[in-house]
Amino acid sequence: MDNVIAFDTARVGRADDEIDRHEDVVRLGLWIFLATVTMLFAAFTSAYIVRRSGTDWRPIALPSVLWLNTLVLAASSLALEVARWSGTGSRWRAASVAFAAAIALGFAFLGGQVLAWRQLMAVGLYAPASPHSSFFYMLTAVHGLHVIAALAVLAWGAVRTWTGAGRRDLRQWTGLVGICRTFWHFLGGVWIYLFVLLSIY
Amino acid sequence: MTTPASQVVETPPHDAAEPHLGFVRRYIFSTDHKIIGIQYMLTGLVMAIAGALLATLIRLQLGWPTHQWQWLALLLPKGMPGGVMTPEFYLAVVTMHGTIMVFFFISYVLVSGFGNFLVPLQIGARDMAFPFLNMLSYWIALLSALVMLASFFVEGGAAAAGWTAYPPLSAVWSAVPGSQLGQTVWLLSMALFIVSFTMSSLNFVATVFSLRAPGMSMWRMSLTVWSYFISSILGLLAFPALTAAAVMLLLDRHLGTSFFLPSGLVVANRLLPNQGGSPLLWQHLFWFLGHPEVYVLILPALGVACDILPTFTRKPIFGYRIQVWCLIAVGVLSMIVWGHHMFVSGMSPFSGEYFSLVTLTITVPMTIFGVNMLASLSGGRLLLRTPMLFALGVIALFGSGGFGGLFLGNATANMQLHDTYFVVGHFHLMIGGVTMLGTFGAIYFWFPKMFGRMMSERLGKVHFWFTFVPFFTLFFMQHFLGLQGMLRRYYAFTSYDFLKRTQGQNVVISLLAMVLVAGQLVFLANFVWSLLKGRVAAANPWQATTLEWTVASPPPHGNFGAALPDVHRWSYEYGVDDVEGDFAAQSVPPERVPVTA
Repeated sequence: MDNVIAFDTARVGRADDEIDRHEDVVRLGLWIFLATVTMLFAAFTSAYIVRRSGTDWRPIALPSVLWLNTLVLAASSLALEVARWSGTGSRWRAASVAFAAAIALGFAFLGGQVLAWRQLMAVGLYAPASPHSSFFYMLTAVHGLHVIAALAVLAWGAVRTWTGAGRRDLRQWTGLVGICRTFWHFLGGVWIYLFVLLSIY
Repeated sequence: MTTPASQVVETPPHDAAEPHLGFVRRYIFSTDHKIIGIQYMLTGLVMAIAGALLATLIRLQLGWPTHQWQWLALLLPKGMPGGVMTPEFYLAVVTMHGTIMVFFFISYVLVSGFGNFLVPLQIGARDMAFPFLNMLSYWIALLSALVMLASFFVEGGAAAAGWTAYPPLSAVWSAVPGSQLGQTVWLLSMALFIVSFTMSSLNFVATVFSLRAPGMSMWRMSLTVWSYFISSILGLLAFPALTAAAVMLLLDRHLGTSFFLPSGLVVANRLLPNQGGSPLLWQHLFWFLGHPEVYVLILPALGVACDILPTFTRKPIFGYRIQVWCLIAVGVLSMIVWGHHMFVSGMSPFSGEYFSLVTLTITVPMTIFGVNMLASLSGGRLLLRTPMLFALGVIALFGSGGFGGLFLGNATANMQLHDTYFVVGHFHLMIGGVTMLGTFGAIYFWFPKMFGRMMSERLGKVHFWFTFVPFFTLFFMQHFLGLQGMLRRYYAFTSYDFLKRTQGQNVVISLLAMVLVAGQLVFLANFVWSLLKGRVAAANPWQATTLEWTVASPPPHGNFGAALPDVHRWSYEYGVDDVEGDFAAQSVPPERVPVTA
């Protein structure tokens, strides 16, 4: 991409515009990706609705640790907001700490999900036990994989923050944090949606 | 491989920003969209050879079910012991033929191959929006193809549940030999394919949205670019349904869940423990992808044909804006018609009525599209060069194949025709023929741009006639086999009295298929010969108007010298007066040639 930008600077004049444009393209790419993720969970939802009408549907009691996990994930999203807020106020130390906290809480969420699995397994509820438990394992696993991908993006944002990207160019830093925020809050939203679906329907 | 561009036309001196990459970065792990496009194309052509060999096996079996092919027994001792194919092997061959042709030939050559090569060039961009992602997408695609081919060599052989992979056949390990490891490998290969295709579609959409050259408004884009744009959006929205379904099928196969497996299923004299699953759920999810997928493949073929026609009639495409709206309408409608593949699944008559109605509604934009292509010929001077012959072939197959679709889209008629050779004939004319002729048209048309050499016109014409005539005839005949009641996936017509009288037709169809496959050897010879010895191509050998023809053949790295082109007009400025001829490239300024659209 850098070469491509180099080609254009002579024409467009200001390199800043090109960087903005690159940010815009990445943001667009992210939204397109999130559209396909939305379709994926929509497909799972439709399967859930169809399967829910089967005669063998026996609801399982979801582990209560999921409530805690939800709070942890929400706290992680909040920490990411604090990171952005600190960064725009040029408090870079605080921004770095908040970024790290967001990532740590993200890992804590994943750990909590694994804990929920283990609690279910401890009482003998494996994936085939009931369609409800099949969906629980599958949806949490698929969501977890997306969370891992998002954590990688967050790690990229955190490293850029620690190495002083924001001090060099605040606008560019805000752009890349924006990408982290969109992805991360989106997956938080997906989790709340899945939790509601699995709990009440 | 090719003559340096500088010998062909004058190119601007190398830009200082152009990186000097080694062979590996330039031609193997390249992020240049043109190289990636060519990589996709070559991979797809190799897969096409595999698909064609499988088709040959199918037709040997259907034409002469009891004949002992001793030489094949040597090659395939397990699948054809004594030279006669086993029914299980036949199912695996049919499955792999369909899978390879749909996902690994047409998708790779036409959609990803030409899409990659053409979209940035035609919109005036230096590369795709995400070049690295693009490279990653190709290497995952290659891996997916290799995994799919490897499934022939696992225990039990390749998957045998059809390219649609309906459970329980695809879900129960003990159903047929192909339901064992082969089916798992099939699913893994498809998962890789979906990942790669999603990356690639995402790239197309982002590129078209954000990297158009100055002046290249959406309404100035060629129909080729429009068709890739719409088909990429369809792919992005439809493929996740198959991803979800594949995850559930893998869990059913390996973790003992019952997403798709119903209660009381007895396979191989054993009652399965599964309860309450729904095989129809798979069908819904599969076809939610499967139907848009056929448009993902066919729209680029139509788009490409719409760009070839004006070049060889020397007049603008008829009804450009209507064509675009038709593409959009077809895209939207294609997402809501999937149930027409399931009319006999016991769905409510009201659902059937709905799916019939929306399916037949698709014929409205598609007919407008086809008639506009015909109207584009009217009053033009037809230059019957090879790409033009293939584009005309696209119109012919699109018209006749589409006509069969009218019968199949009607729920009442479909009850009779479902799963017969009427369906096989129909989808081969459309998703097989329109796309294949479109692909060949594209290869003949853009080969000079890709490799800097012309393909042989004489061999090209021989190839066209040896492709079009047998293809059209044999699949047209299959419609009538279907009307006589011959069902798809039947291993031999000899097992049923009422089908014995179809023997003559089956032999003729098989012979035509052999002619068709042999005709492709002409293409391969032409391809290789032209690559090495073809006449050196000028920058714009066809006197066409889109931006890729304004740069050298092959285009340099970064496509457009130091500055991006300024676009002043639409893609179809033919029939004008200019020093260069009766056309104006999109970058020709209005002072030189007045802008018409």
